[in-house]
Amino acid sequence: MSVAETQAPEKTRRFQILPQRGKVSLFEILLLLFCIALVAVRLPPSMGDVLLLTFLFAGLGLAWNIAGGYAGLISFGHAAFFGVGAYTSTILFVHFNVTPWIGIWCGALLAGLFGAVLALVCARLRGPFFILSTLAFAEVVRIGALNWSSLTGGPEGLSIPPIPSLINMVFTSKTTYAALMLGYLVVVYAISKALEASRYGYYLLAIRDNEDAASAAGVNPLQGRVAAMALSASLTGIGGSLFAQYFLYLDPTFVISPEISFQFALLPAVGGLGTAIGPVLGSLLITPLSELLRSNLGNAAAGLHLVIYSAGLIVVMLYFPGGLAGAIAKLKRWRPFS
Amino acid sequence: MSAFGQLVLSGILIGSIYALMSIGLTLIFGVLRVVNFAHGEFLMIAMYGAWGITHLLGLNPYVAAIAIVPAMFLFGALVYRLIINPALDKPHLVVVFATMGLSIFLQNVALMLMTADLLDVPPVFSQSITLGPFYFKVELLLGFLVTVLCTIGLQWMIRTTYLGKAIRATVQDGEAAMLMGIPVPRIFLITFAGGSALVGLAACVMLPLFSVFPTVGLNFVLIAFVIVVLGGMGSIEGALLGGICVGVVQSLSSYYVAPAFGQMFFFILFLLVMILRPNGLLGQKGAATIGMND
Repeated sequence: MSVAETQAPEKTRRFQILPQRGKVSLFEILLLLFCIALVAVRLPPSMGDVLLLTFLFAGLGLAWNIAGGYAGLISFGHAAFFGVGAYTSTILFVHFNVTPWIGIWCGALLAGLFGAVLALVCARLRGPFFILSTLAFAEVVRIGALNWSSLTGGPEGLSIPPIPSLINMVFTSKTTYAALMLGYLVVVYAISKALEASRYGYYLLAIRDNEDAASAAGVNPLQGRVAAMALSASLTGIGGSLFAQYFLYLDPTFVISPEISFQFALLPAVGGLGTAIGPVLGSLLITPLSELLRSNLGNAAAGLHLVIYSAGLIVVMLYFPGGLAGAIAKLKRWRPFS
Repeated sequence: MSAFGQLVLSGILIGSIYALMSIGLTLIFGVLRVVNFAHGEFLMIAMYGAWGITHLLGLNPYVAAIAIVPAMFLFGALVYRLIINPALDKPHLVVVFATMGLSIFLQNVALMLMTADLLDVPPVFSQSITLGPFYFKVELLLGFLVTVLCTIGLQWMIRTTYLGKAIRATVQDGEAAMLMGIPVPRIFLITFAGGSALVGLAACVMLPLFSVFPTVGLNFVLIAFVIVVLGGMGSIEGALLGGICVGVVQSLSSYYVAPAFGQMFFFILFLLVMILRPNGLLGQKGAATIGMND
């Protein structure tokens, strides 16, 4: 039998086992079932906390990945969009008594607008200049929120009244929150997958890889960059609102800090940039690890969990630049018996 | 009027110290085309080192520079070998995330070893100098002099010495420089280590003026980025000009507007420069596209 014949059945298989661009794979379905099972099983409260943060940050990493991974717009200012989303829904709820179910969409819209403005402002900037500008942009938003006390409560922050009800989007059980966060993750994942398979997703990849060639082939780079940033920002804004609904408290140094921005970028970087499964794997690995290290080592030695975490990051970046998804892709090509 | 003059003068002095802290960053960026996100943490370690020497040996922090500057040179060389060099031939993102990881790493090692307490050194000079209607803090004046001497010295080195010429050749065209027999990897190493040594010098000048704590670098690294971009990345005299601009803006806006908005002003200034003059105030044409696709 020739080599071509033995490999033919693989190409016609309807379901892929390992994740692939624009297709649903067995791996993803099993992962989803596993996540649903984790929500359904009653975990101890401390584990429930870790679980829902893992889902939320996976969604936020995916949202970042739309700009940073597919379109190559590496942003260290996504905390600004996170903060805009969180503050919009919270301010509407606390000051104007609008239910967060509506407030979330207003937050997403406003965050998307901020994203479009940032992409337009930085239209001519590339590489380190773009990164530094996004950092400065987030600082402007943070200092603005810190000083606009009448609206944001300034440094004292804003609290959401802890009255559990569906209308208030405040729940007593962590399982409900975990389900909510998983819903957010699935929606952002579906958007990423749809984007990967669409013409528009290929535009973004083309802009990232070679802007001049993309432009010559009829793709409008500015339009692509602005749209990718706006989509990424509004999804991040939704995550911000969910975060606020869970913690019930916001203050600018907490939600708009550079550390939060770095976190969004690190999950896709470790998991695999420009892939949908990457940020999810990154969050599944890193969020529980950093939460567990924090709770187990936090008292013994302040900062030790971040020392381990950052040392791991350096090693991953230097030796596995493709991240976890890159490692899986290698596994796919690995044929021990051929 | 006198208040205005005083503010501008102290802005210039403090800005020159900011500039000294940024020269290392601009040098590294200009030659290696790498943004070192851990630059602020280099400053932090050097400040802790200078504090240790002052505290344990009872020396003047300015004298501590004799030990700190070579120590930071070696530290820079080590970081270059372990992290920067392996990342240079990989996508640009790798070096960004690796130096960012290094920054979190150093911050938290400092937090573990030194706790989050603010540490200070006793004041070196008890009096300030009065010149006509203006007051000067001696520490600031000394910092200004060190910065000016440093800028002139570096300019001289880059213009005339063999090493300086080799550095300039590497900046202009790395491959051609290599073909002419310039050891480009060694030039990178020396530049990175030298940039780190300059941060060590800046730390010794800054220690009498600012407290040191594990996240002190974060406050200053953002200022340093603003200065480097304002001056045009890679330009040493640009960094001096950018530093003075930032110092004056900060000093005027915190007096006339509100201290909290002082920071916001220079970030807005930064974004405006990015939009209108991405090559910086003195930067040569095309500086903004450096490090774009590699």
